[in-house]
Amino acid sequence: MKQPLHLINPTVKAAAVFCCVVMLSFIYNPYTPACFYIIIVAGVLLAAGIPLKKWLLFTIPFLILAFGCVWTAAVFGKVPTTPDNFLFQAGPISINSDNVSVGISLGFRILCFSALSMMFVFTTDPILFMLSLVQQCRLSPKLAYGVIAGFRFLPLLKDEVQLIQQAHKIRGGAAESGIINKISALKRYTIPLLASAIRKAERTALAMESKGFTGSRNRTYYRTLSVNRRDWVFFCLVLLLFAGSFLVSLCFAS
Amino acid sequence: MKSWKVKEIVIMSVISIVFAVVYLLFTHFGNVLAGMFGPIAYEPIYGIWFIVSVIAAYMIRKPGAALVSEIIAALVECLLGNPSGPMVIVIGIVQGLGAEAVFLATRWKAYSLPVLMLAGMGSSVASFIYDLFVSGYAAYSPGYLLIMLVIRLISGALLAGLLGKAVSDSLAYTGVLNGMALGKELKKKRKRASEHASL
Repeated sequence: MKQPLHLINPTVKAAAVFCCVVMLSFIYNPYTPACFYIIIVAGVLLAAGIPLKKWLLFTIPFLILAFGCVWTAAVFGKVPTTPDNFLFQAGPISINSDNVSVGISLGFRILCFSALSMMFVFTTDPILFMLSLVQQCRLSPKLAYGVIAGFRFLPLLKDEVQLIQQAHKIRGGAAESGIINKISALKRYTIPLLASAIRKAERTALAMESKGFTGSRNRTYYRTLSVNRRDWVFFCLVLLLFAGSFLVSLCFAS
Repeated sequence: MKSWKVKEIVIMSVISIVFAVVYLLFTHFGNVLAGMFGPIAYEPIYGIWFIVSVIAAYMIRKPGAALVSEIIAALVECLLGNPSGPMVIVIGIVQGLGAEAVFLATRWKAYSLPVLMLAGMGSSVASFIYDLFVSGYAAYSPGYLLIMLVIRLISGALLAGLLGKAVSDSLAYTGVLNGMALGKELKKKRKRASEHASL
């Protein structure tokens, strides 16, 4: 089913994410990212129809990462500890509130990045994103169709690995057990995998050219994408929501 | 992109796509480590994320190979579901520019091991500047940052430069690169060696 977020032009969606990330990277107070995070999660769950369970499952790795950033900033932060901001003593290191607040800000920043990117990935068709880059951002069609052709090989990689495994087995190659053996076996897999991928790519390129693909910009498209009013409304709405969460932080600060 | 053959572009994207999968695995691996040890856990493995630049530039030897391959790998990583989403494309551009700058300095003529290692280190420096601002590393103390930078430089030289060259050379020996710059160079080398032997 098509949800409102699925219909937004992929380039506009990506641009909105870029703008948010750039603006977020100038912010070191914890209130703005925290507030923005709540807004994104609420907005995406409502407007993209992503099941809550799937969302939570994908959030777990980022929670771990965010936790790492919080404690690193708290322990290795650059603000020196003074009696004013002293929080508690953890062994030889004293923790101060300024570094902790920066850490929480960085943690929420990561959660915001993850929420924005999940919003993008869950609601965007990869092929449409490439086509939109060609039609809206003047990406070279030669490059774009090359990448789309390569993208098609992705599901085949797993089969290819299995094939190599069977080929090794049939020639009496030892089965890998243990971590050290597995790492040393990595080369036996990487090179054949890349070699067969390159051969396939060569054949694909030949097929593309023999069917008249020149990669010139002067071409027609089966699917044309455009930027219309709905896309601009979406873009402005995202910026407004960010401005809103920035205002919230001003209220807290004073 | 005008001087590029369709073949070179498709081969470059396929290699970038294979390594995008590797990149993503390392991203998740690094994220778990970073949860335990903080962002410094990324540094020893950081070089792996520059390897496509080195491989593509070394194989194709055309201006832009290092930059474009890294962008494709980042793009595919984004489409597969990287934590940073479309932002990973910007990271890819930054890292690719770092490597490309080194190749530019040699006017895309020299592809010896030291140059490839320098290219990996170029990506290290560029990505570190990015992290300083966007990932908020600027909030850490200078001593901690210096340790991070040194580890990342070493990782870039070894995991991207050295490993990238090793992978490309092994690939060239299989013969699949015969139509490309690296394969042609290898053929010439072999011919010279056999002439030497017959004399």
